[in-house]
Amino acid sequence: MEMMNELFEKYFRGETSLAEEKELKQYFLKGNVSPEHEAYRVLFEEFSKEMNETTNLPSVHAYIPKQRSMNRIWYQWLALAGIAAAVIMLLWIQFPTTPENYAIIGGNRIDNTEFAQRYTAKKLTNVNKMLARSMKPLQSLKNVREEMQPLKTLSEVRRKMTELQNKLQLK
Amino acid sequence: MSDVRYSTFLRHYKCMESTQFNNQILNHSDKLFRLAKSILRDGEAARDAVQELIMKLWEKRAQLNEVENIQAFTMRSMRNLCLDSIRRNRDEDELSPELEYIELNPFQQTEQKDLASRIRNMIDRLPELQRTIIRMRDVEEMELSEIAYVTSITENAVSANLSRARQKIRAQILNEHKRVEERIWK
Repeated sequence: MEMMNELFEKYFRGETSLAEEKELKQYFLKGNVSPEHEAYRVLFEEFSKEMNETTNLPSVHAYIPKQRSMNRIWYQWLALAGIAAAVIMLLWIQFPTTPENYAIIGGNRIDNTEFAQRYTAKKLTNVNKMLARSMKPLQSLKNVREEMQPLKTLSEVRRKMTELQNKLQLK
Repeated sequence: MSDVRYSTFLRHYKCMESTQFNNQILNHSDKLFRLAKSILRDGEAARDAVQELIMKLWEKRAQLNEVENIQAFTMRSMRNLCLDSIRRNRDEDELSPELEYIELNPFQQTEQKDLASRIRNMIDRLPELQRTIIRMRDVEEMELSEIAYVTSITENAVSANLSRARQKIRAQILNEHKRVEERIWK
């Protein structure tokens, strides 16, 4: 008992080692406490209680990875913006503002001007021939009309004779 | 640049891995929280302070490789951050960190019926340096040399403050007991 009294005195003077202080904590945990030391029980129990107090902050451990992922997202967006800008620049260079001369023949793009001109001339000749062929029946019709011209005169003579006959009958 | 200077340069700027950071810093977050709570006397403010410190340490993690005793370093940083916070937010209504224990009025006494909470209150009303030292020693079980580093004072000064804090608590505990006994005999 005297040894414990001495240890308590040493403790309150701030002269105990960590090992001696652990011995005091054990003394209260064992339960066989002298009545004169009972007053200090709550003090040592309070220290043990505080030792088990935690932050109760789950976000503390989640905090660092969260910050890293935010940085990663930021860099990803930056990279995507860079790629988009590069694509736009590339398209601008590839397609100049001045228009190009080309023709589409049979669904194919023809850049050879000479070929395109020859092809067009040939097609126009074909159209001309086709038109000439189409106009031929019309020429025949004209000939028929010319041939019919004497008949027109004959009908005129007939009309005149009818008029004369009418006049003669009146008389 | 010489080899020695170059290696120092590399060591200085070598980033601490996140797992290493978790092991060395975040594992002490409970101790940091208890210290911050003891100084600020407010759980919510203590949580904010711990998060603020962890954020600052993460930003400067490259320099942490230079630190020998990470626990003592982080505890010291935590204390300084809390004291800065008190200085910034101090107003007339707030308790001064140097405020001594004041006898509770009857209303406060009925409010704090529990002897354990009364003892916590006694510790909380010690001057900041004394309550920080008593908790670092009796709760965190730190060596006097570590406490001296955290509080930026000598080991002798730590012993003197520890003794003063324990003597005050002892006097108040004995006073409480005497009063309870008197009440019983009446």
